[in-house]
Amino acid sequence: MKVIDTLTGEKHLVDISPVDMVDFKTLTKDRYFFDWNLEKKQEVFKLLIKGSKDILGLVSIERIPQEWRIHIRLLTVSKENKGSEKKYDRIVGCFIAFIAKMAIREFGELACVSLRSKSEIAQHYMDKYAMHLTGMMLSIEVPEIIDLINFYDND
Amino acid sequence: MTEDKNLMMDVEYGIDSRYKSDLESVSEASALMEARLRRMKLLSNDQITKAKLLQLKLKMEEFINHPVYDNHNHNHFSNFLTFYIDSIYSKRSIFAKDINVDPVNLSQVLNNHREPKQEFILKLMIHSERVYKDVCSFDNKIWYQIYFNNKICEIMSKQEQWQPEIEKQVRISQLTKV
Repeated sequence: MKVIDTLTGEKHLVDISPVDMVDFKTLTKDRYFFDWNLEKKQEVFKLLIKGSKDILGLVSIERIPQEWRIHIRLLTVSKENKGSEKKYDRIVGCFIAFIAKMAIREFGELACVSLRSKSEIAQHYMDKYAMHLTGMMLSIEVPEIIDLINFYDND
Repeated sequence: MTEDKNLMMDVEYGIDSRYKSDLESVSEASALMEARLRRMKLLSNDQITKAKLLQLKLKMEEFINHPVYDNHNHNHFSNFLTFYIDSIYSKRSIFAKDINVDPVNLSQVLNNHREPKQEFILKLMIHSERVYKDVCSFDNKIWYQIYFNNKICEIMSKQEQWQPEIEKQVRISQLTKV
């Protein structure tokens, strides 16, 4: 999976791996928008450009095997990757595709990735990631989840 | 600047999807499940097969990247092969015919009574390359990687059994000191 440098258009391979306990000291609210220390007991993953040590984004998840679902609890990009001046694009897409792969690996054709969203941003996720909206819950399942994985894996 | 104004500026900067209460979580999960079950009923066999094949590929990659040296004597090669065949075919004998191998031979490989020959794995590589063409990217040498990783797992999980006897037969008569 790759992120795109918005200035040069250059694509960079990324690594998504579990956050280490020592990382939490660097995850300030100023740079990562939320208090990530509250997620210490959850599964938290970080996204870095291969070979770099700078964390560009974070996601925490909850696995719900009885519903064949992985729920995205909290997701963010780093401060410099937010808004129209962002340095790298596709960080959020890479995270969703990464979790989608996890869900397919565990639950196969029943796999589902979900998140909750305010109505004003739900439409964006429906348009960009082909998610379905049920109440406040956005979700992606087969067949759309396969297209999402292939898009981010093969680009 | 409030959080909502931030959201409007960039919808992808962050999502806080955490539940405030268990009640909220249960009620939303139940509505989502109902909607998903309705959608699942509309899935075609082709879509289900594609999902299973992608699942298999991801499981094989996971096994290669994080092999497990346990004592359960799992034959990962035959387990993955069984999953592969059963995801595509209604009868294993049809797969045997498609790759021109004896069904008895195939059955023995699947039940760990026979090692797959090189020709068998080569045919499997060609077969899966064609099958995966419309599913996702697929590196056909993965079958060989699974086969050899499985061998390593077998050997390493039994290290305590073979090591004492083998150690007796190995000595170092010359050692060049660096």
